[in-house]
Amino acid sequence: MRKLSILFFVSLMFIPSVWSQSTDSYDLGIGVRIQKTEQLYWENGFGADFTSDFLLNRKIHLKLSYISSRMGSAFNTNAIKQDNYLIGADWRFRSEKSLQIFAGFNTGFFHADMEIPRFNVLPHNSMLFSLETGLAYRFKFPVAMNLSLGYNLINGNGVSSPGTLFPVFYEMSIFYYLDLPEKSKIKNLAPSNAPE
Amino acid sequence: MIMKKNITFLFLLLLVLASCSKTPDIDNATMLDGDQIYDPSIANPKKYLISDSIVSPSDIQKNTPVIIAAHGYSATTFEWDELRAYADSAKTFYVSQVLLGGHGLTYADFKKATWEDWQSSIITEYRKLDSLGFKKIFLAGSSTGAPLIINMVKSGFFATQSTQPKGIFLVDPIIVSSDKALTMVGLLGPILGFTTVELSNGEKGHWYVYRPQQTLKQLMALINITRIDLQNGIRLPTGTYMKVYKSKTDATADPISALMIYKGMQTSVNGNIDVEMIDSKLHVFTRLEGRADVTAADSATQKRVFKEMELKMKN
Repeated sequence: MRKLSILFFVSLMFIPSVWSQSTDSYDLGIGVRIQKTEQLYWENGFGADFTSDFLLNRKIHLKLSYISSRMGSAFNTNAIKQDNYLIGADWRFRSEKSLQIFAGFNTGFFHADMEIPRFNVLPHNSMLFSLETGLAYRFKFPVAMNLSLGYNLINGNGVSSPGTLFPVFYEMSIFYYLDLPEKSKIKNLAPSNAPE
Repeated sequence: MIMKKNITFLFLLLLVLASCSKTPDIDNATMLDGDQIYDPSIANPKKYLISDSIVSPSDIQKNTPVIIAAHGYSATTFEWDELRAYADSAKTFYVSQVLLGGHGLTYADFKKATWEDWQSSIITEYRKLDSLGFKKIFLAGSSTGAPLIINMVKSGFFATQSTQPKGIFLVDPIIVSSDKALTMVGLLGPILGFTTVELSNGEKGHWYVYRPQQTLKQLMALINITRIDLQNGIRLPTGTYMKVYKSKTDATADPISALMIYKGMQTSVNGNIDVEMIDSKLHVFTRLEGRADVTAADSATQKRVFKEMELKMKN
């Protein structure tokens, strides 16, 4: 668990290293991710969204996020505290437009905190793999909002995987795009004037 | 191109409509779903309900523990037959086996019942026993029987009764289904119409083979309400004991349900309830009759738990 957390946060350093080696322009957004699992918890957290010209002319976005019920349903309640460490990639349709359609996948690690030792006999760790699709809207100011629907291909079965890993989730992300140095300034952040 | 799209749309529409009109192929001679096999408690309530068999209890009878045993979704009183057999042998407590509302009759009756209907028979039996003067009323809920009883605690029902329950035993309670497809019943239900379960020879006639999507929605609604209630905390009535027995491996009621109940329930003095994780792969491990693969360990566990319940009721 600890090793995976370290791995996750080390991977956070991946994005800056990519752009420092690139002469292409790029976008880096950081923000919040709000997730509601169908018939289960709100799990909220933060994330980052990265794209660049070298990623097939911004058709591919790389994502990274951490969400937890600790910042959602489990805040000050008896809900189970669970953490999701996610990395993923999206393919953007209409990537030059302000309203984009995306489809992609996430993978990562899930951990549910059993809190009481006798419940540690239950499965509480799992790999994550989900498919996600939705809409992304980029405002004229440096903010974008994503709304999506996802499906966890790995979900709990009462036998070998955590019981609170449910299949269907809805997600909203809001990213603020950083004002980056001149070498790699944000390109095309404002919506295109081209008709959609 | 437009023509092709229209044909595809019509095909999908027909597929959905055809699915909605599906009716199960019920064998009346062998299935509880049919119109020939009913739960035996309907014809002979005196054998199953203490409120029917002891209508004028003596003082000794009023002070004998009586446990209202509620079965699970799509099951019947059969699920608690072995506890009644144990009680008949021990002669230290009574078992009142309630048949959940809408259960034990035909597929059509089952299809139209809500979870409140399911719960109504537990409420009715508790009221009757309370009004007859029974002083030591316990409840046992297996699988879906558990959230029905938890909901009775949450709703404040017991506060309106003259006698508070002495204890509640929950066996393999379901707060989260192991089959996560249940969470999508709102979307998939109307397409599927119903689902089918495989029963062993010993189980035939005691469980519904076909589960109408309407009842699956009711089940999902009940466990979701209960999960949220537990999330916000539920306090037991004054002096009420609670213990959860949960199989560590359960392909029907996800074992995480036990943790949710442990975290969500509190005694009247802010204490924790008891929980025991049972080394079993059976759902409702206290019911062994009708199963094809019962081990000696399963039998020993059943006897031990029944004995523990008996001792708890004696104290």
